[in-house]
Amino acid sequence: MQYETDRPVIEVRDLAKRFQLKQKAPGLRGSLQAVWRPEMREITAVSPLSFTLQEGEMLAFIGPNGAGKSTTIKMLTGILFPSSGHATVLGCVPWQQRRQLAYQIGSVFGQKPQLWYHLPADDTFRLFARIYELDMKAYQRRRDFLVEAFQIGDLLQTPVRKLSLGQRMKCEIAASLLHSPRLIFLDEPTIGLDVVAKQQIRDAIRTLNETENTTIFLTSHDAGDIESLCRRVIVINHGRIIFDDKTSVLKRQFLRRKVVDVRFANALTEPFALPGVETVKQGTYGVKLEFDSRQIPVESVIQQVISGHACNDINIADPPMEEIIREIYAV
Amino acid sequence: MLTQLRLTTTKYSAITLTNLQNQLAYIWDALGRAVFIILIMFIFVQLWTAVYQSQNSTEIAGLTLANTIWYFLIAEVMELGKIRHDTRITEEVRDGSIAYTLVRPYNYLAYHFFNGLAEGGVKMVLIFALGLPLVLYYAGLPTLEWAHVPLVLLVMALAMLLDFFILSIIGLLAFVTEDTFSFRLIYQKLVFILGGLMIPLDFLPDWLQGTARVLPFNLTTYAPAKLFVAFNWAQFWQIVGLQLLWLLIFGAVLLWQYRLMTQRLAINGG
Repeated sequence: MQYETDRPVIEVRDLAKRFQLKQKAPGLRGSLQAVWRPEMREITAVSPLSFTLQEGEMLAFIGPNGAGKSTTIKMLTGILFPSSGHATVLGCVPWQQRRQLAYQIGSVFGQKPQLWYHLPADDTFRLFARIYELDMKAYQRRRDFLVEAFQIGDLLQTPVRKLSLGQRMKCEIAASLLHSPRLIFLDEPTIGLDVVAKQQIRDAIRTLNETENTTIFLTSHDAGDIESLCRRVIVINHGRIIFDDKTSVLKRQFLRRKVVDVRFANALTEPFALPGVETVKQGTYGVKLEFDSRQIPVESVIQQVISGHACNDINIADPPMEEIIREIYAV
Repeated sequence: MLTQLRLTTTKYSAITLTNLQNQLAYIWDALGRAVFIILIMFIFVQLWTAVYQSQNSTEIAGLTLANTIWYFLIAEVMELGKIRHDTRITEEVRDGSIAYTLVRPYNYLAYHFFNGLAEGGVKMVLIFALGLPLVLYYAGLPTLEWAHVPLVLLVMALAMLLDFFILSIIGLLAFVTEDTFSFRLIYQKLVFILGGLMIPLDFLPDWLQGTARVLPFNLTTYAPAKLFVAFNWAQFWQIVGLQLLWLLIFGAVLLWQYRLMTQRLAINGG
């Protein structure tokens, strides 16, 4: 089935998921009670969510642990039935048309392996080619393209158990892309990886988006993934959307603290201090200051700095993405 | 239509072939585990030789000592070669990897069947090959006629399928209960006693035999082993009929259960 391109790739309306959770009081007595009269508590994993995602978009879907990110992904891929609400993914209702949808979407769960552990990745690739009913010539071309994009040419013949985490992860992601999905769900694809592996994976994902207009739905705790890949961010906490806008807006809106690095022309003779400003570090010729820009305007701090000292350089920086996310989660 | 059939065939055969390669990747491990069949068969031989001697007869309920020894080898091959996908489904639900296996374009249970076929097949061959020399030494060649071999193989295939259906029902319970070990244990014990794994049904008291013969447990283990050692047309038709009937019943249960369980699936963790 070819899906019309002018409709959003994902349309979610009031999608919610509640679970029944068995409760047990501590100790043996609680255990015995739970046998006869288990107490059930309903927890809301996802409160009614609504959003849409257009073809070719790269969305970061972020939130703290237990916020409902993975549950949302699992509903959108069709594994979980929602408690209420509607969703269509590439024109399919995921939990009703799971198999039909499977040919068009790919998913990667960073913490779960899908490659056969004792076999080389190439064997799993061939199996997936059969499962997704790929034409073998087209499969070869696709495989070559992914080998190039993820730089995994020399890894494919080695049993997966002998690969490093980074090497394995690149193969895991490539495996999910063999059937050229139009939409990819990436659930923490770079978890536990070193900087180089992370960068290679990000580059490959970006290439895919640019060359094939693949839509990306990414969850990650890594601010680097979000910043380098996604223009749009949805922040979800306690099952609710608390932010849905551009990544740059996210930074601006939640930018409370500013970091100012000052390089002086002359050596400092006494401790540097300004009211309301924290001196993070002080050297002979420089200081690093941090402050809340809503309480003290940036220009006021700069004026105070330059009015007392001759400066060679002043650098005003945003706090790292990590800190912004931490602030949002605390809301 | 024909293309689709070809694609579906290659899809499921690829699953079996991939797991076959996986099994061969640690064949020594599997071989090591299968070696204990020699010990089991040795104990069975000693035990039943003593029983036949104490009875002072060459036949018990129509089976000779040689028949009985062959019976146990086939029963063990059937039991140990069973597709153990129920534990795999339980693991998938527990560790969340079902997020991968449930959303691929295949029938989830058929995937497990063809996947398990490789594992079960390798185990069956190993158990049979390792137990064979000992059985040949103590019991000689089997009395099965060549003409009956395909019929016994058919009963074996239906036995495997029936067992697969029962274990699927147990495995799918994991979607809701998370743990299925106790259900499996009960089923296993029933196969031990009512399925003929401990003792051929023919040796049981009449009142128990009558019940055991219509229950599904004997059809997975006893039936192929008994037909292998003492083929009998009447019993063959009765067994095949009952196997088909139970397949129909469990098949209907599975269809209903699969629909229900997938709606209720709860997966651990984020």
